[in-house]
Amino acid sequence: MSPRIEVRNVAKSFGTLDALAPLDLAVAEGETVTLLGPSGCGKTTLLRMIAGLEEPSTGEIVVNGMSPTEARRHKQIGFVPQSPALLPWRTVEANARLLLDINRRATPATPSVSVDDLLDEVGLGEFREAYPHELSGGMQQRVGLIRAFAIDAPILLMDEPFAALDEMTRTDMRHLLGRLRERLGTTVLFVTHSIPEATFLSDRVAVMSPRPGRITEDTTIDLAHPRVPELEDTEAFFHITTRLRASLSSGMRR
Amino acid sequence: MSPSVRRIVAPLVGIVTFGLLWQAAVRVFDIRRFVLLAPSEILSELAEAPGFYWSNALITGRHMLVGLSIAMAFALVVGALMASSRFIEEATQPVLILILVTPWVAYITSVVLWLDGGDPTILFMVAFTSFPVFTFGVVGGMKSADPAARELLASVDARPWEVFWRLRLPASLPSIFTTLRFALGLGLAAAYFSEGSALTRDGLGAIGRTAAASNQAETLWATITTAALLGITGLLAISLLERSLLRWHVSQRP
Repeated sequence: MSPRIEVRNVAKSFGTLDALAPLDLAVAEGETVTLLGPSGCGKTTLLRMIAGLEEPSTGEIVVNGMSPTEARRHKQIGFVPQSPALLPWRTVEANARLLLDINRRATPATPSVSVDDLLDEVGLGEFREAYPHELSGGMQQRVGLIRAFAIDAPILLMDEPFAALDEMTRTDMRHLLGRLRERLGTTVLFVTHSIPEATFLSDRVAVMSPRPGRITEDTTIDLAHPRVPELEDTEAFFHITTRLRASLSSGMRR
Repeated sequence: MSPSVRRIVAPLVGIVTFGLLWQAAVRVFDIRRFVLLAPSEILSELAEAPGFYWSNALITGRHMLVGLSIAMAFALVVGALMASSRFIEEATQPVLILILVTPWVAYITSVVLWLDGGDPTILFMVAFTSFPVFTFGVVGGMKSADPAARELLASVDARPWEVFWRLRLPASLPSIFTTLRFALGLGLAAAYFSEGSALTRDGLGAIGRTAAASNQAETLWATITTAALLGITGLLAISLLERSLLRWHVSQRP
């Protein structure tokens, strides 16, 4: 079966600045792959190119058998930006439905999961009519998550969605995302600085070097599914985080 | 005093104090009637012919409302184009500034000759003088739309009109309301002055002009006071509309 996301020899320069060295990456159906690397290594640039929001300087990207631009047109990508980007004039429910209301031609007639179900699943059922300013940072990011899941896209691209949250909320959020992903089986490409986040959520972690970013190591995470919060207290989890930390350090030196 | 009582009492105290000082100044300094009429005489003139001033206030109010609506409609179209293209913005800005800084009282005679006076001249002047202010407000508001939200909409291939309707227009509302307050004063002044210059016999401006030419200080000051009351009514209406439409905005929260 062909991968859901295929990045072939893709590089990116901004003027004379080389942001990404030529790299390859493939993400299979149902797989969660995390891009882990230092700030400025090009993780977000790579994600934006896959989302069709940025053109590669060289190389080719295929998303679900089509170009990123086509994939956007057919709503094949659920995008979760760094900030929740909620519209302050829309209620929680209206924000969760936002992407369903846009480009309706491509909205599935019967999504496999409803916004109501998703709101209940993430504990926001009682906050349907609330406005974003009435929510905590974690609750806002939960709305951002279900907004992406709601369009029933086969692929989710997540750009450090939990970076601005405190440690406890961040831990809760990765457990929540893990649960949603296990349930819906979406293919996920995730960007983060956090090693525990990468370990808990991923099937594979692609470690990147500083700019111009390249993938220095592609590590398979051998942890059983479903991933439960208790997993983070196990020796296996600890070993993987240690290994990833070492890979990240060695990538920094290259 | 509770905040709700204070909100009503404080402005009343301010206005009554201002009126008393005005009355005293006219008496103490023996100011000529035409230069400044005592408030008591203005009130007595208004009480003598309330229907006359009311019907003419309605005409001036209509001129102001229709003129501002025309300006707003054009400003939304031009502002949206300017916000979406840097080239259009840079090409349009000098024209708007030119309209804004050119003293409109200097060319009103040409407009009267061009449009033959009457309603078209008055509406043109109100719309033309307030259009640049509205447009700058619209552009500023639309450009302040959250870039992460713009990117989010782009990730599902939102059409330009969807971005306008779902994001840019609501995001620009706070700025439009702020601008509306300035434009109201500008529009009212343009309506009053144009009525006096547009070969028409109706409206506060036309009556004020005739009164000024025939040394009728009471009538002149009654039209000035009625115009001021019209402006206050307009500002109150804007505040009420703002409160109902912008409940989500930080400026409207307790």
